[in-house]
Amino acid sequence: MARRKVTATETVDYANKEPSAFASMLGGLIEANVNGSAEKKKDFDSLQARVGIWVTDIDEGVTLDFQKGNLVVHNGLEGKRDLTIRAEAETVMNLSNLKIGLFGMPIYYNEVGRGVALKLMQGRLRIDGLIGNLATLNTVTRIFSVQ
Amino acid sequence: MAVDAFSDEWARQFKDEVNKSTVYKAAGKGWKWTVGLVVEAEPDKNFPEAKGIVMDLFDGAARDITVGSAGDAQKCDFVITAPYTRWKQVATKELDATKGMLQGKLKLKGDLPTIVRYTKASQEMTECTTRVPVTWPDEK
Repeated sequence: MARRKVTATETVDYANKEPSAFASMLGGLIEANVNGSAEKKKDFDSLQARVGIWVTDIDEGVTLDFQKGNLVVHNGLEGKRDLTIRAEAETVMNLSNLKIGLFGMPIYYNEVGRGVALKLMQGRLRIDGLIGNLATLNTVTRIFSVQ
Repeated sequence: MAVDAFSDEWARQFKDEVNKSTVYKAAGKGWKWTVGLVVEAEPDKNFPEAKGIVMDLFDGAARDITVGSAGDAQKCDFVITAPYTRWKQVATKELDATKGMLQGKLKLKGDLPTIVRYTKASQEMTECTTRVPVTWPDEK
């Protein structure tokens, strides 16, 4: 393992010796979210999945390898992913701004949610592997969310 | 009339633009931290010394925006650092600030969840910079 961030609760490792700016940002965001919320920590501790995120307008991506209480962030898209999210930078940021509602479901009827849903319908937000992984997507969304 | 980039007059006009923006007023509601922009020197672009822009932003308004040293800006709660050319690209809409941060072209220091929560406010802040007519030192 190339690097381990030492924090109060060590949760994020980086697979690459030099994590990309995007990898560092997503890893940092998830780490802050998980360490700041017992609910997100519970989600994080239960999640085992490999999730790719590709930002279409900067041609950069990461693979998030969630391992039940630990996360390894890889630069770029790695193999054996359960889910892959492809969207523009602004939409990726908006995914982090989705509010979480009843039963831990993301809210798609407010301004941010409608924007995300519209991008999905327009094909500007693509989620590969959704069939069979909807619960995983919801868990990842909850871990991402800063709301 | 165009003002010199990153001058006191530029800071005054930038502040006015922020306070005129209804979008920023709504998107920045609840914000209570200072933001520092560090503009790194590029002597070959006629920008020989680093400068710092200190933005005292509170609840959807700019209380003050001043230009000082890079050290002043580095003391803020959130600090965004980039060379002069990158900031020029942002202010002329050649570079989107969100993309710039994801690519590491603009380096951000501060609490990530907070800055992500205020993505729309920071985008509008960038828009405000583009509304100030500027004379760039490397074009003089």
